[in-house]
Amino acid sequence: MSEMWINMGPQHPMTHGLWNLRVRLDGELIKDVDPEVGYLHRGIEKISEDRHYNEVITLMDRCCYVAGFAWEHLYTIAAERALHITPPERAEYLRVLSDEFQRIASHLMWYAAFVQDIGLMSPFLYGMRDRDLILDLYQSYTGARMTYEYFRVGGVRSDLPPGFTDQARKVLDWLTPRFNEYDQLCLGSDIFHKRCDNLGVLKANDCVAHGVTGPMIRSAGLKRDLRKDRPYSVYRQLDFDVALADSADVTGRYLVRMEEMRQSVRILRQVVDWLDHHPGPVIAEELPRWLGAPYAPVGKEGYLLKRHYPKGVGFSAVEEPHGEAQAYVVNEGGEHPYRVKFRSPVFANISAARQYMVGYRVADIPPIMGSVDVCVGEVDR
Amino acid sequence: MSTVTLYSVSYDIASLILHILGFIIPPANAALTNGNVVTGLAVLVFGVILLAASMLNTILLIWWERKLLGRIMDRRGAMHVGYAGLLQNFADGFKLFRKTTVQPREADALGFFSGPTAYLVTSFLLFGILPISSGWNSGILPLSLLLALAIFSFAPLFIFVSAWSSNNKYSLMGGMRSAAQMIAYEVPLLLAVVAVVIVAGSFDLTTIVYEQQNYWFWGPLFVALIVFVAGMLAEMERIPFDLPEAEAELVEGWNTEYGGMLFAFFMLADYLRALVGSILVVLLFLGGWTMPSWVPGALTTFPLAGIFWFMAKTYIVFGVFVWVRASLPRVRTDQLLRVGWNRLLPLSLLAVFLAATLVTVKCVWPFGCLPSMGT
Amino acid sequence: MATPDSAEEKPRENPVLWVARPMATAARQFAKSLFRPSTIIYPYERLEDPKFRDRVEVASGKPFGVGRVWDNYRGVHSLNIATCISCNLCAFSCPDICIDMVTVAGGDPKHPKKCPQIDYGKCSYCGFCSDACPEGCLTMTTRYELSTPKRSEMIYSPEKLNAVFHSKLPMNPIRLARPDNEDSILLDPPLCIGCNACARDCPTGCITMLDIPKPEAKPGEKLPRRIWKEPVVNDSDCVRCGTCISVCPKECLFWGTRK
Repeated sequence: MSEMWINMGPQHPMTHGLWNLRVRLDGELIKDVDPEVGYLHRGIEKISEDRHYNEVITLMDRCCYVAGFAWEHLYTIAAERALHITPPERAEYLRVLSDEFQRIASHLMWYAAFVQDIGLMSPFLYGMRDRDLILDLYQSYTGARMTYEYFRVGGVRSDLPPGFTDQARKVLDWLTPRFNEYDQLCLGSDIFHKRCDNLGVLKANDCVAHGVTGPMIRSAGLKRDLRKDRPYSVYRQLDFDVALADSADVTGRYLVRMEEMRQSVRILRQVVDWLDHHPGPVIAEELPRWLGAPYAPVGKEGYLLKRHYPKGVGFSAVEEPHGEAQAYVVNEGGEHPYRVKFRSPVFANISAARQYMVGYRVADIPPIMGSVDVCVGEVDR
Repeated sequence: MSTVTLYSVSYDIASLILHILGFIIPPANAALTNGNVVTGLAVLVFGVILLAASMLNTILLIWWERKLLGRIMDRRGAMHVGYAGLLQNFADGFKLFRKTTVQPREADALGFFSGPTAYLVTSFLLFGILPISSGWNSGILPLSLLLALAIFSFAPLFIFVSAWSSNNKYSLMGGMRSAAQMIAYEVPLLLAVVAVVIVAGSFDLTTIVYEQQNYWFWGPLFVALIVFVAGMLAEMERIPFDLPEAEAELVEGWNTEYGGMLFAFFMLADYLRALVGSILVVLLFLGGWTMPSWVPGALTTFPLAGIFWFMAKTYIVFGVFVWVRASLPRVRTDQLLRVGWNRLLPLSLLAVFLAATLVTVKCVWPFGCLPSMGT
Repeated sequence: MATPDSAEEKPRENPVLWVARPMATAARQFAKSLFRPSTIIYPYERLEDPKFRDRVEVASGKPFGVGRVWDNYRGVHSLNIATCISCNLCAFSCPDICIDMVTVAGGDPKHPKKCPQIDYGKCSYCGFCSDACPEGCLTMTTRYELSTPKRSEMIYSPEKLNAVFHSKLPMNPIRLARPDNEDSILLDPPLCIGCNACARDCPTGCITMLDIPKPEAKPGEKLPRRIWKEPVVNDSDCVRCGTCISVCPKECLFWGTRK
């Protein structure tokens, strides 16, 4: 068989979204890959310029459909820095609560999709089942299961409902033994090691060269976690470890994500305990009028805002479940952000595909791409 | 043991039909009740019964797999059509039957249509050979095991033909993998069967079953059983060896381009082969329709007890296949071939050696002795 | 793993007998879910049904209790037409622009009452409208089934939303506290012409037009042509909807902090 190009995508079971991986094959061997993105472009950055600061949050949920809270957090930090607002501490803890549950939910989703990629059928359902418990928790305090619209610039929308922390503890107690069960299903099987060991190797220096972040760089042994390196929100006060592996392969990424879920459970226990004992306001006192509940017209455009609120720019970097996401918000004094820019970690991660895919076999494409954890919603925005 | 056999049943049905016909049309009475006519119709009825029974069992097998998989995955499986979803597969089949058959423009029509058809027909052929219970088979074929395995190994050809003629890169790769895999696993599979044949001393499936009256072969021939089950999994293209139709990378492998009834052909033939695989495991290693002597007599002597126990064992064996499917990932092509040639082949040779030893020493603790009948 | 001080104990799983471990795990799950898998048979069992919620005990055990649809679920809106003041805030706050203010029956024929009509084909259920509603008449309910064969049926008229209100569904209990430091409607007096537009259109009637003394015209100076009245806003009744600002022909009203 001569060499041939295969379009794996835009509709292909491997892609988990809407993108195209062009692969040049020699028989079963991968000679070259060429990732193509842009099928899911919705112009979120441009739309944001025509939305109030709080309305942009509705777009952030659509940025990454499995890690909406991480993107909401990313944007709210940047917007708060641009608008010179400080959220109350309880709101910060609520955000970390949402963030860490989101990390577990996203990793569970990743686990479900990844095991499906290597042909394991039942863990898919286990992962989705356990993720559902977290979505139930989200529903109980945000009112929605995936598009939360819970964070606000300057705080969060509402406080927790009564009895929430007990339910959260129950879910954490349920989840802890599940992780061992997942490990038994994957690491306990010889076939898994045959499939995933020494697969898709991307060494630490290559990760740095390509801007690859998140579990991929940690699986290469580089201790890089924004929650530790550049602590945002209240991560400085929480006790946790950075998950690390040194094999730089698919198994290493699996180990890192599993360990991250365990660490998230550890963080969540501290956060839930804190929330039990520290009632308080959840939204900043000194908010601009137009960031409160009503969003009526302002009259002469910008007249008031220029007087009351200085211009500013806000930058934020957040350790998203997929990697390091960054946001830049420019406040030119209007009621809309002047410019919003996001940096998606997955975009960099799949851009390096040629580095970690060439030389393996066509059957290795799904596990490798699965271990990258592609979320096309945030790649294309 | 009841004396009702498949022949007697079909003969009775045929003569009943012809007598009713003769009663309705008196002038043709003599011609219709002629022995040759009755025998001819009996053969037809025989075929229809086989076809209906195999179809029904295949569809039940799919239901069984869906339910088992569902429970292992913490869900329910099909449950809305019919009692506990028993009719769901009929509904699915009807839906596929109603669909338009789409032929890709560049596809080769002859191969595209004949591939699935031949695949299904050869799979049906197998049911004419396998004995279901004592007397419930199409005839005493001295080499029925060999014939069954020969028909079983037709499949790579038809799969490759349909994959090649679909003119799709995914189909082609699936077809290539399928051919490579089936050929690689044919050898250990046959060697495992050779072990059984050495012990039983016959290629006739009925004889093999009766040779297991003292003990079933799965105990002393455990190595052969492992090799046979692994080979069967590869032949049936089920997880962990389902890489010809690995949906993660090859969409659906060699049946990517097939839809509607042609896809139903593939689906049906796959499960027919799974059924045949389970039946072969039962026949070769689990004593067929016989039950050990410690089972109370009341459980083995009721009418059609042989068929009942046979089907029960078949479904349990298939349940094990489903269990494997639910808990294991898929292997890669090169690993599959390496396992086939490097592990299973030596193991199957070991199995043959063990079988030869067993025949020589006759009696093995704790199983007992081989029966004196046979060679 | 390079995290020796991890809090959660985690036995590292190694392959045993090639595939024995995962198969044992699958068998354990099979035994657990044999009688009651974790799935909910949705059209027959509903999480928001309290009878079912209290009774069910599924394979995944106790934490499944949180699967209930809490009252603050953001589903279809309910609108109480009787208390709606037509302030437009819901329509202003909608990021999807799916809310139209349409005329409802009743009310003054000269100034017809307008209430929100929601196009659920566009709605993203973000809840900004119910957060913005000053009277609490537009809230979200736990109803989530609204599939329909016609696109036009996705548009819920105020009457249809009112029917949702009367169907006694649990209402979203979240009420955002209004900030204390809200800005007020301020007037730029030289620009005002006293046209009464703001007072006429104010949904709460918190604007009254007060007479102001007509200044004496100095020789050579021409007085502006205007009605000698000025709007005065009662801040405690104002809902900050901004209707007055948008109807003002001279753009003389603006937001600001009252000294």
